[in-house]
Amino acid sequence: MKNSYLLLLMLILLSFIIPDKIMKKADKVIAKYYEIENFSKETIVVSEEINSITPSEFGKSNFFKIHSENNLIGYGYIGSALSKTSDFDYLVLFDSEMIIIKSKVLIYREEYGGEIGSKRWLKQFNGKSSTSDEVIYGDNIVPISGATISVRSMTRSINDLLKSIKTLKNKKVI
Amino acid sequence: MKKLVLITALFIANMAISQTIKDTIVSDIQVNSAQRMLNKTDTKLTIGGYGEITYNQPESLNGELDVQRLVMMFGYKFNDKVQFFTEIEYEHVKEVFVEQAFVNYSVGDNISLRGGLMLVPMGIVNEYHEPTTFNGVERPSGDNKIVPTTWREIGVGVNGRIPDASLSYQAYIFNGFKSAESDGDEVNGLLKGSNGLRGGRQKGIQSTVSSPTFSAKLDYYGILGLRLGLSGYFGETQASDDIQDIDGAIIGVSMVGLDARYKFQKFEARGQFIYASLNDTDLYNELTGKDLGSALMGYYVEGGYNVLPIKAKQRLVAFARYEQYDTHASTEDNTQRNDAYNRNDLTVGLSYHIVNGVVVKGDYQFKNNALSGSTLNNQLNFGIGVWF
Repeated sequence: MKNSYLLLLMLILLSFIIPDKIMKKADKVIAKYYEIENFSKETIVVSEEINSITPSEFGKSNFFKIHSENNLIGYGYIGSALSKTSDFDYLVLFDSEMIIIKSKVLIYREEYGGEIGSKRWLKQFNGKSSTSDEVIYGDNIVPISGATISVRSMTRSINDLLKSIKTLKNKKVI
Repeated sequence: MKKLVLITALFIANMAISQTIKDTIVSDIQVNSAQRMLNKTDTKLTIGGYGEITYNQPESLNGELDVQRLVMMFGYKFNDKVQFFTEIEYEHVKEVFVEQAFVNYSVGDNISLRGGLMLVPMGIVNEYHEPTTFNGVERPSGDNKIVPTTWREIGVGVNGRIPDASLSYQAYIFNGFKSAESDGDEVNGLLKGSNGLRGGRQKGIQSTVSSPTFSAKLDYYGILGLRLGLSGYFGETQASDDIQDIDGAIIGVSMVGLDARYKFQKFEARGQFIYASLNDTDLYNELTGKDLGSALMGYYVEGGYNVLPIKAKQRLVAFARYEQYDTHASTEDNTQRNDAYNRNDLTVGLSYHIVNGVVVKGDYQFKNNALSGSTLNNQLNFGIGVWF
């Protein structure tokens, strides 16, 4: 019981770390993708020790299970990556088998490189998982002229995320 | 060994640079203090820059070594919505210009308002002119004689993206070219046949404004690897009060451009077509004694291939570019068409990206024009370029 209070407290605290605006945007994308209005998100708590060995950051209640009517329908990860002079926030949705089913740029903050928000371009990550081949800029991920920096950054972020998920699986976090 | 020799040869001979510290930050886990400062998540100030050091060697003439450009870039983020961005440029070491200086206000996630000194979106290189983003030591000639890069003026406008449609748009009202000025006695024309509008750029230097001009660009990137652009620029040139009512002091300018960039694995290609129609050039030429054409036209096609493995950190791109550009694509009745202004260049060379952000370039240019009996000096170029 004590533990669950602690967990609740942690969840409440953590829920303030990802800004509301970004969370709301992520919720919209999830609702639209699954065509559902009611769903809940359950934060996957990653210990600091494990977080320190994963290339992706998991300390911000930014990795969660998505439930609808008590069924696990997938997972979501909200991350941040660098563009040329700023950073941008993105959401990656996984199915219940941890295979990427959608990625979306939530907020892009500078004038150049915003092309990576292209639905068509982001589709290239669909179907990837921690067991599939590495995503490589210029090889299995096609570049966008004029957005090279952001494209490389997003590709690298997805790679890091897939590697991190492998670690989380090995450590039985998920 | 072969590779080493090549690297050494390229190094000794020349250099030109390419890309961003941001790339370095993202790719390497270790960052130094400067990079950490640039890792803007926690900082409001961004510092960057680019530079080109070039060596041009025309056949049968002496060569030129030049720090062609050194540009310092500063960005400051006041909050998530309001940013200021500026580039201060040193040309040929001693000339100082402000290349860009504008405030960007994000009114939504995918739409911003902008005001200040900005680049006119026309073709590829005017907006993407950092030396690591294009092949060849020198920018394409059409991006000098037809699109007068780096073309910037003071203005206001809007830009944004429609991610679901893979479309971005820009629309601005800019100040225009200055066509003529008066020294009290006579009217001096700033535009001429050999390089069209280039001499009329005001660059935000106590610029004269008498009427607004309109500029817009649409980019479509919904086909993987391909980016297509459609640009337009419309308006009149500017003139000071004392001469603006004289026939020919002001001319009309309409310019349209189409461009495409394609990348797939080790292959890259790009092309551009620009056409500008100028009105009242006969009146202008009569007033100023110049030989300005009534139409400017330029196009180029370029293909490149990275000979190093995709996974290698370095890239060595072999490329060839053919371009034609004619600042007398047509002339009005009283202006004699000059075939020397109808030129073509074939450029073949290498761009050796030794790291993202640093490029060493070498190329050879075969230059021709349509004037019979005329021979132009071909040119060997080397350059070092950096962008961070």
